[in-house]
Amino acid sequence: MIEREKTTFGRFCSNSRFCTNIIKYKYTYMLILPALIYMIIFSYIPLGGIILAFKDYNIFDGVWGSRWVGFDNFITIFNHDDMLLGIKNTLIYGCVILFCGFPFPIILALMFNEIRNIKFKKFSQTVIYMPHFLSWISVIGMMYALFAIDGSFNQLLRKIIGSGYQPKNILLDSNFFLPVIFLSHLWKSCGWSSIIFLAAIAGIDPSLYESATIDGCGKFKQVIYITLPCILTTAIIVLVMSLGSMVNVNFEQVYGLQNAYTQEKTEVIGTLIYRLGIQNGKYSLSTAFGIAQGIVSMILTLTANAFAKKAANVSIW
Amino acid sequence: MKRTKGEFIFTIINTFLIILLCVITFYPYINQLAVSLNQGTDTIKGGITIFPRKFTIENYKTVFGNSDISSAALISVSIVILYTLISMTVTFAAAYGLSKRKLPYRRFLNLFILIPGYISFGIIPTYILYRYLHLINNYFVYIIPGIFSFYNMIIIRSYIQELPESVEESAMIDGANEFQIMYKIIFPMSLPVVATVSLWLMVGQWNNWTTTLYYVVDKELYTLQYLMMRLIKESEAVQKLAMESTMYKSANDKVATVTSDSVKAATLMITTLPIIMVYPFLQKYFIKGVTLGAVKG
Repeated sequence: MIEREKTTFGRFCSNSRFCTNIIKYKYTYMLILPALIYMIIFSYIPLGGIILAFKDYNIFDGVWGSRWVGFDNFITIFNHDDMLLGIKNTLIYGCVILFCGFPFPIILALMFNEIRNIKFKKFSQTVIYMPHFLSWISVIGMMYALFAIDGSFNQLLRKIIGSGYQPKNILLDSNFFLPVIFLSHLWKSCGWSSIIFLAAIAGIDPSLYESATIDGCGKFKQVIYITLPCILTTAIIVLVMSLGSMVNVNFEQVYGLQNAYTQEKTEVIGTLIYRLGIQNGKYSLSTAFGIAQGIVSMILTLTANAFAKKAANVSIW
Repeated sequence: MKRTKGEFIFTIINTFLIILLCVITFYPYINQLAVSLNQGTDTIKGGITIFPRKFTIENYKTVFGNSDISSAALISVSIVILYTLISMTVTFAAAYGLSKRKLPYRRFLNLFILIPGYISFGIIPTYILYRYLHLINNYFVYIIPGIFSFYNMIIIRSYIQELPESVEESAMIDGANEFQIMYKIIFPMSLPVVATVSLWLMVGQWNNWTTTLYYVVDKELYTLQYLMMRLIKESEAVQKLAMESTMYKSANDKVATVTSDSVKAATLMITTLPIIMVYPFLQKYFIKGVTLGAVKG
């Protein structure tokens, strides 16, 4: 011990608060260390991958040896029809899912909340939460079976419309892609998303409803004037947290639903990155694409948070 | 409580809508269950709804008899177990360390872990990194990436912080070191939250198929979910062929009773049943995560 303090390092350490802190809590830091190493390797180093976008990366020259090309990759993206279509599709699908899909979990939570029979409530919740636990590809497997020419969907339509009905597989038609994406998203996640609103509704002070009843306020008015304003904060938080998803359509869903008939017209940024980058080896181009998407997504989340802070005094941080 | 006529009508409509939603949610699944238990050649005639018409377990026999599927199942199960164990260890240790309010530089460490969550540059930089790390086509690509997540750490950390501090102090006085306190005292006390997070990890990993899609080419490393994806995508090609060349003739001529649709349905059941059977009993743990996340997030 005495020997060590004589060395420069030892002297530095005994004088520096940083070192004394580290030594004092060394066991605690050792517990955190694996997580930190993990973060450095798998989260921070890929951020350095940003330089790939400004290079013409190829496997043989490696990250450092490849040629610098400046903003060429970004320029290529915005001059390429396929990619512009990908950006357009991503925005359309993202916005429709986010904004049109947003009210449904709230409505579902209000409906659940009005069920008086506890057993029926539990049962229906369990059933409607089910799709959340399935992978997208299982859901899509069921959809292909459901919408097949001889599938249940077409049989039902034939029963309703009559024998003149021409069966049609809507999954093989790119015109139906948007409604299919939107409705399958609702089917899979609406139930689960309603949980957070149910929790918010459960947290409302019951005396509010009591006094409203005494004042002669009906059920419907109670929902409008008490329930909805009380869950507004929750609604804003949920919206803010998902705003980044406007430019981030679920890859599993879109990739799974694409097929030979629909693929060309329904590419989104995520599927293009996969096809260009991993399947065709255009690493630099697809990195540039990913960066453009990531930055827009980040800006959206940060701005939305700033607005939410001002508007309703809530912050996700 | 007296109820007005309007409320009564509302209750009926509400109940009806909820039942309708339940049917819409569950029908596709029940339908596939019925198809998987029905003779394949009979299914092609159409009209299978919620009960099998000609009951058989031939489809399941075919699926289990397939060596690709059984090896994929083995991979899937082993990944789920190994991943959950390692991930839980890393996350719990970090959560315990960061739960100490007196720890110097705690704020910095929290920020350090939090920040990357907001920035994402797509999968390509990750892909290149995995290539350098030789994780491409490697079993460990399923295990190592994703062993730590900020969100899960926060959930565990806030649970630990709510435990009485006196327990830890008295152990410290008795001469226990950090590691002993963690796994002999704090860990057993945190079992509820450990169970909760483990369940999320297990379901997440079981349902994961994009890792295989991005980073694995080797057939022997395919997971069950990925194999099912291939099956669905391929039978979609079969479907297309059938549509173009005047309908299912070839399938009808087959002697075997198993068809691509019935195999698909049976595979779907095998990959989903473990979760479907279990989640109704465990859903309170999952729900806890959503509501906790809303408070802490």
